[in-house]
Amino acid sequence: MIKRFLYSQKVAPYVFVLPFILVFLIFWVYPLGSSVTMSFQKITLGQETEWIGLDNYTKLLGDKIFLKSVMNSAVYMLCTLLILIPLPMLLAVLINNKFMWGREFFKSSLFFPALTSVVVAGTVFRLMFGEMDGSLINSFLGWFGIEPVKFLKGQVTGFIALLALATWRWLGVNMLYFLSGLKSIPDDYYEAASIDGASAWQKFRMITMPLLKPTTIYVLTISIYAGLAMFIESLMLWNGNNSPKNIGLTIVGYLYRQGIEKSNLGYAAAVGIVLLVLAMTINMIQLAFSGLFKKED
Amino acid sequence: MKREAALNLKESTATRSKKEISLKILLFVLFAILCGIILIPFYAIALASFKPGEELIRYGLNLKFDLSVMSLDNYTYLFTGQHAYFTWFFNSLLLTVVQVALTLLVSATVAYGFSAYEFKGKNFLFICVLLIMMVPFEILLLPLYTLIFNLGMMNTYSAIVLPGIASAATIFFFRQYLSGIPKEIIAAGRVDGASEYGIYLRLILPIMKPSFAAMAILNGMNSWNNFLWPFMVLSDERKYTLPIGLKTLLTPYGNNYDLLIVGSFFSIIPIFILFVAFQKYFIDGMTAGAVKG
Amino acid sequence: MKKKGIVSLMLLSLLLSLLTACGNSSSTNASGEQSVIDAGAGEGATELSYWTFVELHGKHFEKMLEKWNAENPDRQIKLNVTVMPYDDMHNKLSIALQTGTGAPDIADIELGKFPDFLKGTPQLEPLNDVIDPYRDTIVKSRIDIYSKDGQNYGIPTHVGASVAFYNTEILEEAGVDYTKIETWDDFKKAGEQVYEKTGKYMGTADTSAAWQESMMLAQQGSDFTDADGNPQVNTPEMVKGLQILKDLQDANVISTIAGGQPDTEEAYGEYNSGNYATAFMPLWMMSRFTNYMPDLAGKIAIAPIPVIEKGMPRSVGGGGTGTVVTKTAKDVQLAKDFLAYAKLSEEANVEIWNTLGFDPVNMKVWDMKDVTHNPENEFVKYFKNNPFDVLNEIRDEIKYVKSVPASPTINNVFCTVTLNEIFEDGRDIKEALDDAQAQIEQELQ
Repeated sequence: MIKRFLYSQKVAPYVFVLPFILVFLIFWVYPLGSSVTMSFQKITLGQETEWIGLDNYTKLLGDKIFLKSVMNSAVYMLCTLLILIPLPMLLAVLINNKFMWGREFFKSSLFFPALTSVVVAGTVFRLMFGEMDGSLINSFLGWFGIEPVKFLKGQVTGFIALLALATWRWLGVNMLYFLSGLKSIPDDYYEAASIDGASAWQKFRMITMPLLKPTTIYVLTISIYAGLAMFIESLMLWNGNNSPKNIGLTIVGYLYRQGIEKSNLGYAAAVGIVLLVLAMTINMIQLAFSGLFKKED
Repeated sequence: MKREAALNLKESTATRSKKEISLKILLFVLFAILCGIILIPFYAIALASFKPGEELIRYGLNLKFDLSVMSLDNYTYLFTGQHAYFTWFFNSLLLTVVQVALTLLVSATVAYGFSAYEFKGKNFLFICVLLIMMVPFEILLLPLYTLIFNLGMMNTYSAIVLPGIASAATIFFFRQYLSGIPKEIIAAGRVDGASEYGIYLRLILPIMKPSFAAMAILNGMNSWNNFLWPFMVLSDERKYTLPIGLKTLLTPYGNNYDLLIVGSFFSIIPIFILFVAFQKYFIDGMTAGAVKG
Repeated sequence: MKKKGIVSLMLLSLLLSLLTACGNSSSTNASGEQSVIDAGAGEGATELSYWTFVELHGKHFEKMLEKWNAENPDRQIKLNVTVMPYDDMHNKLSIALQTGTGAPDIADIELGKFPDFLKGTPQLEPLNDVIDPYRDTIVKSRIDIYSKDGQNYGIPTHVGASVAFYNTEILEEAGVDYTKIETWDDFKKAGEQVYEKTGKYMGTADTSAAWQESMMLAQQGSDFTDADGNPQVNTPEMVKGLQILKDLQDANVISTIAGGQPDTEEAYGEYNSGNYATAFMPLWMMSRFTNYMPDLAGKIAIAPIPVIEKGMPRSVGGGGTGTVVTKTAKDVQLAKDFLAYAKLSEEANVEIWNTLGFDPVNMKVWDMKDVTHNPENEFVKYFKNNPFDVLNEIRDEIKYVKSVPASPTINNVFCTVTLNEIFEDGRDIKEALDDAQAQIEQELQ
């Protein structure tokens, strides 16, 4: 009886998707729900939980360090977008050129950094950007007669190190995305354009860019997400969550500081909800602008 | 394109090929420089793995090739010393294999459910899949932490594997892949009297094999390098994975830099070997998730 | 078909490993175990668990446990030692204590984190009764910093008296005699001479630790907090102290250092290379010298810290670890008795000096010439003069800064923002301190 029920064509699909439903309910809906609830509470573990309405949120608005972390995450995200979309796109077009020698080798070399753990990569970059005159970047600057720089103590220089790390790890990956996008553009488009006497730039503007749009949207979406949720890179680069003047503090870093390091669970939950709303809004706007919701596309 | 050029511009073929060669050289040099820069950190850490930790602390990470301070001591220590490095290494390996195998199996099953059937609530559920892809996992850290704690799953690998077992991105990819498989196969299976599950196990899974490689690599990379969540869940040193173990060496209360650097470098080597051997799969796997034009 | 075999084999092994992973969890709960120290314990021994973030502390307990088990055959102990990274251990301990599950019997808590564990009703056992027998011989202030409402919750490890570590090689090169340095003015003159002759800095302007501010405040009889424990970081005393340091920095006597303070790995490198001549640090910095700065062996001299005006106290206790017994401990009395024995008894304090290189809280040890001046001791060998000669000279001048609920926040704001603004960006001291005060008050709301 039960067997026949389970094996019926009506029930089978639910059995197939059941693992997802369970995981979704237990590990997403429930935690998300309790996150929302917690954000309206003052929670001291082991003691009575207090309902405090919107207090956590109003406090967040006046919390300079939180605003600093939002600023940092936003700037980081924007910078990664500005670097890690045009540059890989250009590289993909160049490397896809039929005059390219050693294409496979270069493809692999550029991609390889993505395989290293952030823990290892972050530590290596921390040491490379060390402030001693003997550390890699400073000794390099020394060849040009530039004084040693305290990279990880300044806002701008600290971000240079962060972005260098991000570029190093993701340049090759994003290039591969664009390469796979390029593969789907038929050669005849370019041949036809050549016959019409189009220049290389014109071909890039008129054929490559528009036809790479789906790939660009994909890369944009994951970059926005990754940029806003960045934490471990900063944690490793500053060897802890407390960077000087909080120059490397991100939203998730602040969530971690409040929730795990200071046990202010309610306040941390509010930070998380703000991040969620932020990420959703930006992605929705982005998707709306790029026309993903239009049926024609 | 070449034919066109040959037809129309016969006389200028010579200048053309000259131009081509200079273009080739230019491109090659450009990429060679770029790769050089990209590979510097690897070279630096490889070099540092032969130097004593105090050298690194004193002069920072640099490219000085100085045979007088270089030795194989760190490697001797790595392979013979008293530390948990290879326990971590093995744990990472085990966890990656377990996680990838289970995630692929479960996600493929779910994806099949979405692709082969029409059922009530399907669209809603699939929107949930897409939604998960947009929620930053990090905001769930705290409630998930308390949940795992209350379930008594602290310090277990189940706590790491289970939340990600139905991976949204993987489901999404498999569904795309399955949509290219003709429905007739399923219908034929039913005619032959196979059960719904028999069809999936015997007919569909074998067809999906090629897509497994790509997803195995993508999930494997994520799992091998996964840090934050395992870091919060695991507290027993003997259960640490490699990234967590390496991070614990970064404390000021122990002279661990020798092991840290050589261990970091050594952790890259197996991935490197795998990567060289299965390059094509890696690159296909990475791009598999991208939307096709 | 080979493939199928491999796949099923893999699945089987996965399931098995998952099951074992689950099985383990139920028995050990939130804690992991690293090593069980038997130390000659017999069948009937009670098993106690201990969390720490310093591996050496476990080693110390191991030594003391052997003696304990030999002396108390009817109350033997097996100790499970778990070493975790600093942040991780404190975070996990905090959650375990507050939820009432998964905490160890005994744990180390660092001074900077201690006030967080005293919030509300502390989930720790008062230790007054086991401290009482030793109370007269140990430094009172080191017990007070781990106390609340007259209850002592933590047993100290060391005094952490701050002293000056001078690199005599550099000083001799510049023709400076460190024994003549008594006030900050003297220090400044000496430093200017060092900078002029060698181009090296005399000392550090710390940005990621507040040891120097503690010293300055203690000299003026002030503190980071007022009598009620409220933050007061923009007091005239604080301004004056920072002004002196800033003045030294402007005169190229002190300079910021890689890592932000002497107790970081980057700074060890700078010192080892002889780029800085002085470190003002608690005495436990000695073990950093012996461990990380081998090149300086035989060159470092220990002396009292300069003061603003002669006659002011020359030292302040800094840092520390309080070892606690949790409310959920299996055998509270046993844990307490062992803890007192392992950290407060005379033998324990001799051992703390011998293996850890700390200035023990039991002052009797300070007078044991054969222990403190043992020529075989690695610390005695490393340093130019004997640390206890200096300690005994300043023993009545060692002040302490209060540890109150606001302390972790004050320290955090100072070490991430304020000190950086003052010494790296050259921001106006009063302005930076006013901002810090506002920030701290806002965070404490």
